[in-house]
Amino acid sequence: MIEIRNIGLWYRKGQKILDNVSATVGEGSTVVICGPSGSGKSSLLRCINGLETFQEGEILVNGISVQNPNTNIYRLRANIGMVFQHFELYPHMTVTENITLAPMHVLKISKTRARQKAMELLERVGIADQAAKYPGQLSGGQQQRVAIARGLAMEPALMLFDEPTSALDPEMIQEVLEVMVDLARDGMTMVVVTHEMGFAREVADEIIFMDHGRIVEKGNVQTFFNHPENERTQQFLARILR
Amino acid sequence: MLDYNFEWSILWSQTYGPWLLKGIWTTIHLSLLAWVIGSMLGLMVALARLAPYRVVRFAGGAYVQVFRNIPLLVQMFFWYFAVPALLPREMGRWLNHEVPHLGYYCGVVCLGTYTASRVAEVIRSGFLAVPKGVTMAALATGLSPWNTYRHVTIPYALRISMPLLSNEILSCFKNSALTMTIGVMETTGMAGLIDSFTFHGLETTTAASLVYLAITLCVVAAFARVEKKMRIPGLMERSN
Repeated sequence: MIEIRNIGLWYRKGQKILDNVSATVGEGSTVVICGPSGSGKSSLLRCINGLETFQEGEILVNGISVQNPNTNIYRLRANIGMVFQHFELYPHMTVTENITLAPMHVLKISKTRARQKAMELLERVGIADQAAKYPGQLSGGQQQRVAIARGLAMEPALMLFDEPTSALDPEMIQEVLEVMVDLARDGMTMVVVTHEMGFAREVADEIIFMDHGRIVEKGNVQTFFNHPENERTQQFLARILR
Repeated sequence: MLDYNFEWSILWSQTYGPWLLKGIWTTIHLSLLAWVIGSMLGLMVALARLAPYRVVRFAGGAYVQVFRNIPLLVQMFFWYFAVPALLPREMGRWLNHEVPHLGYYCGVVCLGTYTASRVAEVIRSGFLAVPKGVTMAALATGLSPWNTYRHVTIPYALRISMPLLSNEILSCFKNSALTMTIGVMETTGMAGLIDSFTFHGLETTTAASLVYLAITLCVVAAFARVEKKMRIPGLMERSN
């Protein structure tokens, strides 16, 4: 599904953000990426849908090379949903309009059909009663669920989550995680950058630990939590699992 | 106090009343036309200043600096006196002799292009205030850069710019008075003309002042309504 081959990314000043990163995400699997801030997790995620341009290596999504000049990046992005730390909803549009914008203008679905679809998705994430409101009138947890619905509206083959619960009040984290757990159980392919280790334990097929732009350790839930090999991973886990 | 015989009735006398009304009407449509040019051109210049191409960005920047930094009065003279002279001789002749109300058209173009340079800066600041993440989120859904601009960035930026834009439309109305220098008989010009016939400049100037005040207050009220309508719920609601 996603094949990341020896990615290298650096900014102009020579600071290396990603260094020889390789990973594979199989269809229907959930991969959790964790690591200290500044370790390159979010950058890696943005490389997958072409929001960031890397200098070395190759990323294939469903066999299509992301940075190949012949690739229609917009069509590729339409197939990849993305959820951000700070929701990034369109504040001047209602919840429904937020969800229907891309289906109407990218997939060219009729307005009626798009709205119908939006309502189904809002039902699914549990906030159908908020459809006519504006993002600024919702709580953080509700906004993030709208953002997830916005991503799902494109019927993507893959969802990327960039620290989806880091900006939320503790009480609201659960309602967002529940939606994500449901998605994972339904067989959605997901790459999730998060520090929610409970979520990782529950649904992750693989956990990747990054530090300083490199993948330090990867493995399934069992080995990652119980027998981490790398010293840096052990330190990190000791701190966040306390 | 000097010995001055106030005669307010000349303002609504049979001869001068219609002159004044005609002047007011000219002020209104001249300013509105200039505003239409100013806001459209201003949006385009703002977009140019943010374009991904250096040449386009430079052109937009040059436009703003030139039109913003030359006194409006000088620009009026430039459009009215210099432009016809700079054009090919036949065209200049035609403009000067065949086009009725040349001053009016020069005034509209001059005020419009000047207003555009100021509107462009206001809208550009609105664009810069749109969070990068929102634009990125729109692109991530597969929207093209143009559709992202059209549906997300532009409407969002315009809403942020609204309060400052209202300032610019007020300036546009007030600056229209300068067109009297190139022979446009708008409110100020008419006030001067009536004065030269009647020597009652105090009355006419007072009337002109009140007219501008009335017009701008109407604009303020209209803009307040538009602003209220465009305010983003939960985001830009004022606390009071």
